[in-house]
Amino acid sequence: MLAADGLVKRFHSRTGPITAVDHISIAVAAGEVLAFLGPNGAGKTTTIKMVAGLIRPDQGRVVVDGVDVTGRPALAASRLGAVLEGSRNLYWRLTCLENLIYWGTLRRLTPAVARQRAGELLRMVDLEDRQHNSVQTLSRGMQQKLALCQALMHRPQLVLLDEPTLGLDFASAEAIKATVRQLGTEGVAILLTTHQMDVAQQLADRLAIIRAGQLVLTGRTEEVLTRYSRPVWRVTAGEAFSAGQLAAARTLGWPLEQPTPKDLLVTPPEDDPAAIYRLLDVLRPAAIRLVERHQADLAEVFQQVVSGGGEAL
Amino acid sequence: MSSLLVAEWRRMVIDLVRYPLETVSMMVVMFAVFAGMFFGAHYLTAAPISGPNLSGVVIGYTVWTLVMNASGFMGYSIQNETQNGTLEQVMLAPWHTVQIFLVRGVMDILEMLLPVLVVLAALIALSGAKLDWRLLAAVPALMTIITAWGIGLMMAALALLFKRMNQLQLMIQFALLFVIIAPVATIAGAWGHVLGVLAPLSVQVSVLHATLAAAGHGASATLWWEAAADMVLWFVAGYWLLTAADHLARQRGIIGHY
Repeated sequence: MLAADGLVKRFHSRTGPITAVDHISIAVAAGEVLAFLGPNGAGKTTTIKMVAGLIRPDQGRVVVDGVDVTGRPALAASRLGAVLEGSRNLYWRLTCLENLIYWGTLRRLTPAVARQRAGELLRMVDLEDRQHNSVQTLSRGMQQKLALCQALMHRPQLVLLDEPTLGLDFASAEAIKATVRQLGTEGVAILLTTHQMDVAQQLADRLAIIRAGQLVLTGRTEEVLTRYSRPVWRVTAGEAFSAGQLAAARTLGWPLEQPTPKDLLVTPPEDDPAAIYRLLDVLRPAAIRLVERHQADLAEVFQQVVSGGGEAL
Repeated sequence: MSSLLVAEWRRMVIDLVRYPLETVSMMVVMFAVFAGMFFGAHYLTAAPISGPNLSGVVIGYTVWTLVMNASGFMGYSIQNETQNGTLEQVMLAPWHTVQIFLVRGVMDILEMLLPVLVVLAALIALSGAKLDWRLLAAVPALMTIITAWGIGLMMAALALLFKRMNQLQLMIQFALLFVIIAPVATIAGAWGHVLGVLAPLSVQVSVLHATLAAAGHGASATLWWEAAADMVLWFVAGYWLLTAADHLARQRGIIGHY
């Protein structure tokens, strides 16, 4: 649905040209959520705005549903919707319903179709009872939900979400996430940027991490998390391990740490699926409460990648 | 194009109805200004001003007000959208930037013209005065406004690139006042004539004056052609400049900047 190929963008500052985006290529298929992550100033928003056609790339090409964004901007714009961070996305003096009808009509819907679609979307995000309230009277979470509705009025095939859950309370963030998941099941391609790694991990089918304008990691979320997970097992007991149990565990000859009296971190051979059972055997009769293999989370992966420890593509 | 017109029309109507005090105040001010024209001259000259003279004053003032709005509104709209943080969403709409802001300019003129017509109808009914209005005068009036839209597109181009330009806008409107009031179109000599034809609004206003003139001879065919050519020139220049500014703003990545 989205194919951005070899995007380059340089800006001119007093100190000389700055390469904000350096040969970035990303693709998002229909029904897929791509989390586009990176630290502040890495080039995420510039990339999203190039995809939207708001910034013209110096090099490279963006194609949305087969339409070149630079060559046929109006047609491309009719196929995408965006919620942009730092923008209000809505007219605060208009009501929720008036806003949706305005933005829908602006995107070539008839007023009757726009009204019907607005009703559907307001129901979907649970704002039906606020439809006649002006936007300025809504909470930040409600405004963000309405901004998402605004982007969906014309049923775009690609939705760009720049920090959609920033500054939202738990319930509002959950509502936005639920809407994003639903869009994915409806076949909408979603390009999402966020600094909230838990949000990205919960929503994204695939990840792309950018650092200083360059893409440094891409892959399916599960595969990336598995790749960054270490073969370390944590064994937690109900009470402190005895000296005898520790000595017995050390006889296995595997790297072993004891971060707390009740916890052991052990690295058994990866090619031996029965190894963990041998460890549990030698720890008898300790009251084992938890046995788990280390599973990297996205925050850990992100930290490693942006601090330079990640693999470059 | 119709959906763009409908969207902006609805937004304009909502704005007029949502803030009735603003709308009523605007009509009261218009009423006061036109009432001054209808009745004020009576006190100054001890004789009622009527017929072609009154028509000239009323139509001249109306066209002048519309020209100021047509030349300033699009730039103001871009500044306002940028300040409110909605410009990027507007620019994501599936329309050419010129189309969007031109339609807004048209709606602004309608928003201004409709109350003017209501106020004038009320004043004519109250005073019993008669406006000597010729349908043909609508043509140069429209040509004047289209030329002003061309200048408005240029102002919009500057607003897109520089965002804050209130002072420049005032200066340009002052310059427009000069070219409309000063008899630029009748400057003698070949170069003077060229200057008169190239200056915005001057030729169209001359045609308007000639059409409304009491003698009724009207403007010459040459003046009509010059007015039309000048209108096309300024409108196309405005169209081209806003298109180029849109390209440059996207190139520099400054559409949403304020």
